[in-house]
Amino acid sequence: MATYLEFIQQNEERDGVRFSWNVWPSSRLEATRMVVPLACLLTPLKERPDLPPVQYEPVLCSRPTCKAILNPLCQVDYRAKLWACNFCFQRNQFPPAYTGISEVNQPAELMPQFSTIEYVIQRGPQSPLIFLYVVDTCLEEDDLQALKESLQMSLSLLPPDALVGLITFGRMVQVHELSCEGISKSYVFRGTKDLTAKQIQDMLGLTKPAMSMQQARPTQPQEHPFVSSRFLQPVHKIDMNLTDLLGELQRDPWPVTQGKRPLRSTGVALSIAVGLLEGTFPNTGARIMLFTGGPPTQGPGMVVGDELKVPIRSWHDIEKDNARFMKKAIKHYEMLANRTATNGHCIDIYACALDQTGLLEMKCCANLTGGYMVMGDSFNTSLFKQTFQRIFTKDFNGDFRMAFGATLEVKTSRELKIAGAIGPCVSLNVKGPCVSENELGIGGTSQWKICGLDPTSTLGIYFEVVNQHNAPIPQGGRGAIQFVTQYQHSSTQRRIRVSTIARNWADAQSQLKHIEAAFDQEAAAVLMARLGVFRAESEEGPDVLRWLDRQLIRLCQKFGQYNKEDATSFRLSDSFSLYPQFMFHLRRSPFLQVFNNSPDESSYYRHHFARQDLTQSLIMIQPILYSYSFHGPPEPVLLDSSSILADRILLMDTFFQIVIYLGETIAQWRKAGYQDMPEYENFKHLLQAPLDDAQEILQARFPMPRYINTEHGGSQARFLLSKVNPSQTHNNLYAWGQETGAPILTDDVSLQVFMDHLKKLAVSSAS
Amino acid sequence: MAELYVKPGERGGGLETLGPPFSPGWILPFPRARFTHALPFAGNKERGWNDPPQFSYGLQTQAGGPKRTPLTKRVAAPQDGAPRVPTSETSGVTPVGLPPPSSKASRPPPVGSCAASCVEPTDVPVTECETLLEDVLQPLEQALEDCQGHTEKQVFDDISRRLGLLREQWAGGKLSTPVKKRMALLVQELSNHRWDAADDIHRSLMVDHVTEVSQWMVGVKRLIAEKRSLSSEEEANGQKSTATAEENQTVPGVRQAP
Repeated sequence: MATYLEFIQQNEERDGVRFSWNVWPSSRLEATRMVVPLACLLTPLKERPDLPPVQYEPVLCSRPTCKAILNPLCQVDYRAKLWACNFCFQRNQFPPAYTGISEVNQPAELMPQFSTIEYVIQRGPQSPLIFLYVVDTCLEEDDLQALKESLQMSLSLLPPDALVGLITFGRMVQVHELSCEGISKSYVFRGTKDLTAKQIQDMLGLTKPAMSMQQARPTQPQEHPFVSSRFLQPVHKIDMNLTDLLGELQRDPWPVTQGKRPLRSTGVALSIAVGLLEGTFPNTGARIMLFTGGPPTQGPGMVVGDELKVPIRSWHDIEKDNARFMKKAIKHYEMLANRTATNGHCIDIYACALDQTGLLEMKCCANLTGGYMVMGDSFNTSLFKQTFQRIFTKDFNGDFRMAFGATLEVKTSRELKIAGAIGPCVSLNVKGPCVSENELGIGGTSQWKICGLDPTSTLGIYFEVVNQHNAPIPQGGRGAIQFVTQYQHSSTQRRIRVSTIARNWADAQSQLKHIEAAFDQEAAAVLMARLGVFRAESEEGPDVLRWLDRQLIRLCQKFGQYNKEDATSFRLSDSFSLYPQFMFHLRRSPFLQVFNNSPDESSYYRHHFARQDLTQSLIMIQPILYSYSFHGPPEPVLLDSSSILADRILLMDTFFQIVIYLGETIAQWRKAGYQDMPEYENFKHLLQAPLDDAQEILQARFPMPRYINTEHGGSQARFLLSKVNPSQTHNNLYAWGQETGAPILTDDVSLQVFMDHLKKLAVSSAS
Repeated sequence: MAELYVKPGERGGGLETLGPPFSPGWILPFPRARFTHALPFAGNKERGWNDPPQFSYGLQTQAGGPKRTPLTKRVAAPQDGAPRVPTSETSGVTPVGLPPPSSKASRPPPVGSCAASCVEPTDVPVTECETLLEDVLQPLEQALEDCQGHTEKQVFDDISRRLGLLREQWAGGKLSTPVKKRMALLVQELSNHRWDAADDIHRSLMVDHVTEVSQWMVGVKRLIAEKRSLSSEEEANGQKSTATAEENQTVPGVRQAP
């Protein structure tokens, strides 16, 4: 392996793992001095077209407290048919099926190239996927029409044997009975009164037959209560009736007087959806899909009253403790989210409205259950329609890119403990010897539940080195971690994905260079950013920034090369060179800055930041900027105001927005119509090139980003101007002497100033 | 990505001379045209604010294909944080100068090379003239007729009602040409017992033209499913009674090689 870059890339492709450090400091003390914790980004179900699952069950270590899975790192005695667990050193007998094992006849899980392997579990009932639509009817006519069409369309995309259900809500909540007969019936609930799961199940008549069945056959977990079929039916049976039912949906009939908001019972509707699935299909893959066009305005979970003259809470209100309904609403949705997670279901939120819809209060529903959160202006936009379609895309095998009810278990060698995880998961509170007392993220456990995930869902997992200082480098020279993800595949199979990874230990005093060279600054930036964003959810913004700054200064002190008190001598090696600028852009990002964002927007951005993989997360931290010109091929350029030149076209990708910006001259040429003249066909191609590249990005991105086509002086150029480093501002414009780039009217600190301060602090002996 | 674009002797071209810079040969090697015919979308044309363009079903499901290197490269800022003083490479050219004209040599290559892989079903010239209502509806009704007895009465009636809707809307001129053309294709696949292909066309119509087709398409969808199950049932029976002569049989669910 030539370089660490290649090593890192290969490991990511094979195991879906990126570590902040790829050589591990061998003692607790040295590890804390590295500033950036030993941690990794794990994409449990990373797509592996080259990895067909094996059709047998994994072999487990027989020690009850270990139960690690046989893997390529285990020592095998082929003659005695024994294997030694690489985590607890227990010697285990191979099961009878492995009697034929020998050096030349190995099962896949012992081969080094199968450090990641997937098992298909044959036993257990296979239950269909479930999709429960929860639809807001307090929408404008064209919005509702567009939503209805999208829902009808989705019936063609769902797996034919999936179960589907429909709840609609406005002032009242209606649970629709789906039957093949012509008459449509529904159960109507008041939207003001919260009901317990038991009450909901009683009222929907879900309990009685289930009980009688239990009496008749006490242990029959495989068969689901027959009654559920009234509300959840296979798509292939009721698609025609449901199409009509959706087609006939009307706007909420209750009159809304001038100056009022419609009464929207989102809290009760969700509660009923959760209760319905809880009573009928616990621990079976299910999505509750909430489509809403405005804030909940009544009942439990309301976030704003119906008086239009009282606006929905802003950051300012929240800071002044002036958000009347917020805490209570959050409590309601957290209770629902936790119940949903316990049941193994997930909740998606599709919120389309121009104003806020209460994502701040409802975010836990998606965040704790691994559901999607989508925010748009209207259901009648291609942003929503295509994002929604993409939920149902299929992989190279023709399987849906969605998995359900996963538990992720992490096992470590003795020198490591697990500090926590950050991502779309909840703790399963499984304590054990490998769980650290120091928590980072969601800690105190070695197992998490991820109710909904896709091939890109990514968790940050944080570790602690516990080996004592001056103790020798641990036996074997390598530490190991095993990730075991059990989940329900979209084909309804139960599967187990196992990744076992190992990295070398190094003595930080004598081998610091090795540790330094194996630093993955991209992974480190994302992992630190996740910690920062996680803190920002509970702490004040400035405190988080200060914490990040302190970490950055300490890192520079540790790994920079400099003479004390001489800022000009400061240098960082290649493996650290990008890290400060990642932190600079992170500080300015909407994940940590709430200025100019509504509480809903912040929740939305943070939701996606906490679940995307490394590449996408890094784009969110520091957007990508490409420049197109006549002078050569398109090239990546600095995310800096100096890159905004008159004769260039810029393509910026911030993950949430794709911006195409024409420089001044280019815009003038276009206005003059050169692109239409045959002799300037070149120019036409130049204009087209960034559009085509943007298409390529759009095609792969989930959720669909906003798409902004603008030019020099255009009002929407602000999307670009707010992201570039303001190296030229109105304050220093003339200092540069040359009229290049575009000055940004801001008092924000530029990267140059930031770096100057950073160096000064890093080399100072006082700090 | 750099390798993809590299062109011998790049840069320099016209910089010294104040005339037009060299032709951007780098633009040409790409099959950029693939997007141009995939993009037009027959559904709702209204766009929201900063709304992304809409991709057709065919393009969305297109299995990968040779992807270009993703645009994910970054430039490291120099360690002092100060940007290199950028050199506007047209510094000699006046800002309002002309764009460099194309030279003959830089004509784009014919698009044909990549077209085949990205063309959607609709683009295949199935029918030169207008698709006729009866050509589509008659086989559908026939298929439904075949299912009588096999299909539940209520489902039968429901499908029949939706075919009526289709007839009504078609006759009333409410359906666009792409929808009609794709329906003709669907019917063709249906009568050739290529269920998966027919189902896929139904899906593409639902995704791309939901406004036009949502009301009756679900009937067609169901018809495909019913016909499929009928056909596999018949086949099973056929195989039982005459265990021989299975040479030219269509295996249900398996797409035949075209």
